[in-house]
Amino acid sequence: MTTASNPRSASGAISPRLQLASLSAPSVIFTVAMIAFPFGYTIWLSLQTFTATGMTRFAGADNYVRMISDEQFWNGLTITFYLYFLSLVLQLVFGTVLALLMFRAKKLPGIVRSLFISPFMMPPVVAGMMWLVILDPSLGAANYILTSFGLPPSNWLASPAFVVPTLALIDTWQWSPYVALIVLGGLQALPPSVYEAAEIDGASGWQVLWRITLPLLLPTLATATILRSVDLLRFFDLIYITTQGGPANASTTLNIYGFRMGFEFFQLGYASSLMVTLSIIVLGAVIVLNRVRNAVAW
Amino acid sequence: MKSKLSHTSALTAAIVIGAGAIPASAQDFDWKAHEGDTVTFLANNNPIANAILKYTDDFEAKTGITLKVDSYQEQQMRQRLLTVLNARSDEVDVFMTLPSREGRQFAAAGWYADLTPFTQDSVAPKYQYDDLGKALVDAATFDGTLTGIPLNIEGPVLYYRTDLFQSCDIQPPSSIADIEAAAEALKGCEAASGITPFASRGLKPALPYTFSNFLHNMGGEYMADGKSNLCSVEGKVALESYASLLRDYGPPGVVNYSFYQLTSLYREGRSAMSFQSSNEFPSVMEGGARLKDTAIIPLPAGDGGSHPTAIGWALAVSQFSENPDAAWYFIQWATSPQMQAKLALEGIAPPRASASDDEAYKAWLAEEPLRQEWQKALDDLAKNGTSEVGYPIVQNPESREYIGQAVDDILLGTATVEEACATADEQLNALIERE
Repeated sequence: MTTASNPRSASGAISPRLQLASLSAPSVIFTVAMIAFPFGYTIWLSLQTFTATGMTRFAGADNYVRMISDEQFWNGLTITFYLYFLSLVLQLVFGTVLALLMFRAKKLPGIVRSLFISPFMMPPVVAGMMWLVILDPSLGAANYILTSFGLPPSNWLASPAFVVPTLALIDTWQWSPYVALIVLGGLQALPPSVYEAAEIDGASGWQVLWRITLPLLLPTLATATILRSVDLLRFFDLIYITTQGGPANASTTLNIYGFRMGFEFFQLGYASSLMVTLSIIVLGAVIVLNRVRNAVAW
Repeated sequence: MKSKLSHTSALTAAIVIGAGAIPASAQDFDWKAHEGDTVTFLANNNPIANAILKYTDDFEAKTGITLKVDSYQEQQMRQRLLTVLNARSDEVDVFMTLPSREGRQFAAAGWYADLTPFTQDSVAPKYQYDDLGKALVDAATFDGTLTGIPLNIEGPVLYYRTDLFQSCDIQPPSSIADIEAAAEALKGCEAASGITPFASRGLKPALPYTFSNFLHNMGGEYMADGKSNLCSVEGKVALESYASLLRDYGPPGVVNYSFYQLTSLYREGRSAMSFQSSNEFPSVMEGGARLKDTAIIPLPAGDGGSHPTAIGWALAVSQFSENPDAAWYFIQWATSPQMQAKLALEGIAPPRASASDDEAYKAWLAEEPLRQEWQKALDDLAKNGTSEVGYPIVQNPESREYIGQAVDDILLGTATVEEACATADEQLNALIERE
């Protein structure tokens, strides 16, 4: 019998593999339980119907069937993806530009660098309140500035047409620095020899950026995309603080809709089915993006 | 069905008589009976709770009970409350509740402890239970279960700028039609240039609080013969009136307006009329800029008369509390005449007649004529008010969603009144069916 199949050697000592398993078991069990229990419980809840008085009965797939014919579900799904794509593109673009600027300006004082990245250190609730005040159509600074330059004022968060782009802009302001930090790390890890070769070959700055820097940054950008995707698909706090899903459901993402169903209208079963669906979407996105990241890795 | 609130001052005679007749239980009452116990209080982080919690040390010294406070903003507090109560957890002993909103739902779920036995068997000598506004107590009673003790009385009132009305030669409004006419006059008046003529709540889940007053004053009811009644003639008039006031004379972005925005706008002198909560009086007057140029009145009558909205926060004991007796001691202390008088001085309208008659409170009112107008409006709320905000069903919170959606659809121009009320009635009838 080999050592691998026999936990104890002839001398009676515990094998390294068993030692490793026994030492890591508590944390593995804890982690699995912390993930599996809430998820399993949510799935179980999604198969129940709750009355307004807290009574439950087994509903099978009723909640999922209801979802298919629920206009608000499809509205929430559309808004979730609209907000996701818009924010993601803006954050990747601005984050990369900011990282390139910080990378080029190596002598930038520390305080300026800190200011650049400070928005994402701000709690979303504080950021939401701050932007709520700035964007107030009557009293806010944003419209004051626009009208000072002779431009028409906007309703920002109060306009069904502008609310999602406005939320995307606020989120971009807050999270582009986070993307920039990731990209900056990627830039610093790029091999100098490639740039030296490009310089010898007489490549212009633009060519270096498009042909060398950005292609080499793809794995880093894919990582940033995965990290931001998880957050953006679950977008909640900023919306909740600023619009609560309004005006007239124009910013009611799936997450907001699920929250309201569960905690305001006490339809915990239906809310859970919405959340299970959202979790599957997030999980699916992560799997796809992970494959993309592996494909572009070098 | 609307429940009429009785005039608080009308109780004075009963109080005078009642004060002399202390129940037998009061003789044996001992504030230290639960010394060493701990009571967990789930509070809404609003001015009422903040004012009470300033005196926490007094409570602990008086009773020897340790008060553990768990405080959140209103929405988060409800979220926590639902989780705790649904899990039948004893984590919370006493909590703040709005009977007009969640009362029916929580009572039907059996989440409130019945406070009736406490009010009969465990009453401090100077508590004066009968002094509490009867209609607010009735509004917190469901199927004979007393679910909470009132902390305050509040409702939407009309704040308006007397200086602008005078400059623009507009008479104080005495009907809803007058408000519409005043808004039109203000819109074309040079002295009110750049000032929003009329503002009120436009945020979907928040607006039923103000819209309900329009509906009732127009003679409407949310339900008739067990069905949703928003498409009744009165309902449609109320929807049209409220939404068009906001659409034609309201501030830009009013569709996201709740109390916070309304208060800021009015306090900064940027709205001429603001129909919003009486609770906002201290905030609106902060800085004193509006103290001398404002008048406060209940919403003027409509075609159906005057039926102001009057509600109040209450303190309730969880059915799952392990220590309901000590929790009741906290409620008794927080809603005692002595505490209510202290809260009144901070602009928290008392649900007790005796607090209104308190000398210190009277002196506070006498300092500013506007404070007296505010109290007068509250007296009217207490006398004529209805606590019906949204549908009188277990799923009241969800009913508010559909009312808000109907108003916002008209306001945003995405539906006509006919379409909006028909959609709302359909959704609300489905909700009523689910009951």
